[in-house]
Amino acid sequence: MYIKLIGAGLILAGCGGCGIRIAMLHRREVAALHQLVQVLDGMVCELEYRLTPLPELCRLGSEYATGTVQRFFISLADAMDAQLSPDVRLCTATVLNQTKAMPLQTAMELENLGQTLGRYDLQGQINALRQCKQSCLNRLKGLEHQQTQRLRSYQTLGFCAGLALAILLF
Amino acid sequence: MKCAWEPFLSVLPPGLRDKVDKYGKDEPVELRLRLGQPAELVMCRTNRSLDKRVTEEDIRYVVNTASRYSPWAASTIGKGYVTAPGGHRIGICGECVIKDGTMTGIRTVTSLCIRIARDFPGIGKEIPTKGSLLILGPPGAGKTTLLRDLIRMRSIAGAITVVDERGELFSSGQAFDTGPRTDILTGCSKAQGIEIALRTMGPKCIAVDEITALEDCQALINAAWCGVELLATAHAEKVDDLHKRAIYRPLLSCGVFSQAVVLGRDRFWRMERMGICT
Repeated sequence: MYIKLIGAGLILAGCGGCGIRIAMLHRREVAALHQLVQVLDGMVCELEYRLTPLPELCRLGSEYATGTVQRFFISLADAMDAQLSPDVRLCTATVLNQTKAMPLQTAMELENLGQTLGRYDLQGQINALRQCKQSCLNRLKGLEHQQTQRLRSYQTLGFCAGLALAILLF
Repeated sequence: MKCAWEPFLSVLPPGLRDKVDKYGKDEPVELRLRLGQPAELVMCRTNRSLDKRVTEEDIRYVVNTASRYSPWAASTIGKGYVTAPGGHRIGICGECVIKDGTMTGIRTVTSLCIRIARDFPGIGKEIPTKGSLLILGPPGAGKTTLLRDLIRMRSIAGAITVVDERGELFSSGQAFDTGPRTDILTGCSKAQGIEIALRTMGPKCIAVDEITALEDCQALINAAWCGVELLATAHAEKVDDLHKRAIYRPLLSCGVFSQAVVLGRDRFWRMERMGICT
């Protein structure tokens, strides 16, 4: 009897945890995209006024973020300073592979950003940064649409699924 | 001889660094990279073909690392060159991009000529340290190297402002000694820089490298009327060559420079007096 109760409890906790984890990943994705938007804004301002070279630009941009996004931009600046690759696209891919826990959609945006960095003249680069920012905002719009209800649903669904399984197995 | 060797090596593709370091350290002049051809190291007395064919990736590596992956920060790419850390000038050839009749960039780069910035302290000790002076010589004769030493020597006597449009004389990494009273303005055109220097820096002397445009000459004339000594360089084998070129006529007719140092490819030099062109 106790074993069955413990099993039911574990199933409930597992499914509930899954729901919470999905909700947490969602929140982390939204936070990372928000930070990326801030970084891109900062980079555009810096570029327009000072024509800052890319490694410094990434380092300055990293100050607008925290955690994984900040780490990514610092590592990208380091990779460029160390001249690891012939172009920024490869530097970005290498750094992205090494950066752990980068949310999926943010990683996709960063990969796209890497395709454009260091390829164009000033105006072209600013346009590319703005385009990336717009793309982030579009993703955010999709993610934030009825976010509270959706997150609550993920968590409730997790618990309910766990409860249903527990009842069925009991 | 002094040379910013490490910054030079750092812009080269990793597969080429060791070879260049091994053979070129003693008397380096330039490194030529041509797509699909072996890299060529030019030294003072000899040329050496290196055992490495240049690939598209090698060329991309050099251009990107020299410009720090930032085409906008190295706006001179549109003029066919980029200055690498250490003041090394990288000449670029390839398929040009023309916009509204002006060259704005180079789409496909096929050749690079990396001129290694060198410094010979004391090389100009026999050259007069007063009055305006024009240094003439063909490409590769050592005009910039001599100018660098003269700037250093004149800075002992008073403030000298260097308008270093290409960042070749004294690069931002301070590869070479600038002298005690040298102010360096980098990145702006010579004409703009001379005006800024006159207005804000109160120099005793203004130095510029490679006069190539009429507006440079006009700015030098304006500065000369303000009682400032001038140091400048220009491409020519002798003073007479300048008289034949229209852009230098205003400069010669005003008698801004009364003397010129003429450098030859054979490393010899001579002083020439400059007549006033009418």
